[in-house]
Amino acid sequence: MSVFRLFRFRRLSIRLLVILLGLIFAALATTQKLVSHYNDQTAREHAATNLDLGARVYQEAARQRIENLAGNASLMSGDYTVRQLLLKPEIDRQTLGSLLRSYTQRINSPVIALLDPKGDLLANSDETMANENVGPFQYLIEHAGDDPPETSGFSYLNGRLHVLVVVPLYAPIPHVAAWFGLAFPIDRAFAEKIKDISRLEVTFVSIDDVTRPRVLATTLDASAAGLVAQSVVANLRAPERIKTLDLPGGRYVTLFKPQDMLAEAPVTVVLQRPLSVELAAAREVENYIMLISLAALAVATLAALWIARGISQPVQQLAAHTRVVAAGDYATRLHLDRVDELGQLATAFNAMSEGLAERDRVRDLLDKNVSPEVAAQLMRDGGAALGGEEREVTILFSDLRGFTTLSEKLPPRELLTLLNRYLDRMSAAIEAHGGVIDKFIGDAIMALFGAPVAQSDAADRALAAALAMERALVGLNAELAAEGRPPLGIGVGVNTARVVAGNIGSHRRLNYSVIGDGVNVASRLESLTRTVAYRTNIVTSAATVAACRRTSSPPSGLLSPDSSLLIPTFRPLGPVRVKGRAEPVEIFAVG
Amino acid sequence: MSRLAALVCLGLLAWSRAVAASVDFKLVDARGHPVPDAVVSLVPLDPAAPATAASRRPVEIEQVKQEFLPYVTPVLVGTTVSFPNRDTEQHHVYSLSDAKKFEFPLYKPGMAEKVVFDRPGVVAIGCNVHDWMIAYVVVLETPLFAKSDDDGAARVADVPPGHYRAEVWQPRLDKPATREVTIAADSPAPLAFTLPLKRDLRIHRPVESGGGYK
Ligand SMILES: [Cu+2]
Repeated sequence: MSVFRLFRFRRLSIRLLVILLGLIFAALATTQKLVSHYNDQTAREHAATNLDLGARVYQEAARQRIENLAGNASLMSGDYTVRQLLLKPEIDRQTLGSLLRSYTQRINSPVIALLDPKGDLLANSDETMANENVGPFQYLIEHAGDDPPETSGFSYLNGRLHVLVVVPLYAPIPHVAAWFGLAFPIDRAFAEKIKDISRLEVTFVSIDDVTRPRVLATTLDASAAGLVAQSVVANLRAPERIKTLDLPGGRYVTLFKPQDMLAEAPVTVVLQRPLSVELAAAREVENYIMLISLAALAVATLAALWIARGISQPVQQLAAHTRVVAAGDYATRLHLDRVDELGQLATAFNAMSEGLAERDRVRDLLDKNVSPEVAAQLMRDGGAALGGEEREVTILFSDLRGFTTLSEKLPPRELLTLLNRYLDRMSAAIEAHGGVIDKFIGDAIMALFGAPVAQSDAADRALAAALAMERALVGLNAELAAEGRPPLGIGVGVNTARVVAGNIGSHRRLNYSVIGDGVNVASRLESLTRTVAYRTNIVTSAATVAACRRTSSPPSGLLSPDSSLLIPTFRPLGPVRVKGRAEPVEIFAVG
Repeated sequence: MSRLAALVCLGLLAWSRAVAASVDFKLVDARGHPVPDAVVSLVPLDPAAPATAASRRPVEIEQVKQEFLPYVTPVLVGTTVSFPNRDTEQHHVYSLSDAKKFEFPLYKPGMAEKVVFDRPGVVAIGCNVHDWMIAYVVVLETPLFAKSDDDGAARVADVPPGHYRAEVWQPRLDKPATREVTIAADSPAPLAFTLPLKRDLRIHRPVESGGGYK
């Protein structure tokens, strides 16, 4: 988990940057690694080829040396002096020996021996070498073929590794009268010579005794040669033609070539080439690749930064804009000049702001035009509940008495102030009882109970509101009297009926209201209060009374705690014909 | 002339020793081809072998057209061989063989040095001037010998009945082929030998120069 936490970034751009760079870096590193691996392998193969070539060079060097010796020995065998010495019935070995020593200078062969046809030593350039020391020559003579009769091989002379060759002394051809035995040591000089030609390190290792491998000659220093000797022993256990050895001077690709010996344990010729030499060219290429990789990484960093900025900047802009919108500013628009998803998001954002602004406007309008309840309901239900439905609503109509005469006496400004004062008190009384002002019509008020929010005790509320209005007017009249003005009169009609409730109006301007016969009836009932004989300010219908009686328990909840619901009393006024209605309506005076 | 004389001599010998038999050798190589230039000999194995008359008539190995002739010459030990130079240039005849070491330096045409071969063995004779010149003198202790002809046939005459070791020497043999045989008075069946010959390693001279080994 903690690992994943490392990859949690506060900024999208950093995450993008890290991911992009990580991927690019991984790709480059893999490439580098692969190239390096391939180069290594190629270098090894190349080294192996070089080593094989070196092995051939070594063999060729030895062969040439042998051929040289053989050629010189052939010339030597025709030398008159040696024949003169051999002509004597009793051979003068001392003179012969000194002659052979002079030959060693002449043909550059460190050891020259002369043996009779049976292989017995006649004379030797090296006087310390007796008959028993020239066994390898005798072995070669014994195994000499006829064609060509000179043979060669590797063996030890006086404990040192030599290449030997025996060449017949013919008297005459093809009669062999004696054998020349020639030898040159496999020493550092020889190894260096092979190194000069092949550019390989050369080491000759004897493993007569596995526990003590012996370095016979080498171009390496002593400690490295010792390790090489150990590796030869190891290679005996797990034979491998080519190996890579770690020596003090570095890594070496190493080839083990067993050199057959004359009836002896083979000597291993170890040819080596430093891997670093093979890799030099490849390393240069790798360095170039590294430089290119770094450049690519740098460019990729810039590109990734640019891409990350391209994504994170608009996101940040969006975030900032969100805060602007959250603060209630719906007017500011986000301008992203893009056509991609972020551009679409910005467009959607702007559309949202516009939507919010519209909603705000609607709400403003609602606040002013409809009661808070209606507005709330509208906002909550998105207007769905106001779509138009039939429901039982109690409608209250009120009218101001004596307003006409008043309007003649007062200047318009004062008149409006007075009217508003009146409507304010009335509205307060209606709203205090859960009623909703549907509209003001001049000095008349139309209010609804049970719409848009359904109320089980709408009729009670309406009647209580009517009584409250009556009482409020008494208060207002007292104030007016104090001001020296004439009192105002009121008429209220309350009717309960099933009506259609909903938004009514054009698509530009909608008003929540109710329509139906019951509304007209309520208006008519209000007019009936003018009938003096009724002696009442409030007239209601039988339907309202019925609705009122349905509810036994007093309404609660919607009333503000300080206002107590006035309980109405009904005085039947008898049936009345209402305009536009076939059935007469039973009406009651409310007190 | 000398060859004719030898034949006459052998004929006389055969006549004088009527009891003796003639032994025929038939020599072929591994491929069945007849083997010339082989020296066949019979070494008596009986302790009291009758002494045979030794033939030590002088023999010649001449130098003609830069070649020794004949190539192979069998002689009884003690025989004198002369080396007449019948060529137009000098030779330097020599031998480094243990059986007889000698040399004739500055050996001008017309000269005819003599050598007595007094020790048994094979003597290879060469010329220091001409590497290709080679001749063999096979010095034998028994007078019962002969040289095979081009048909690979050799006949040893006047062989007294008895136990013998038949020996065949040839320059291309590593070592002589031998076989123990008993010779009766009547004419015995020919002795057949199949010889494991090595390659002929003599220097090949162009035919037009006078040489021409097979
Ligand atoms: Cu000659």
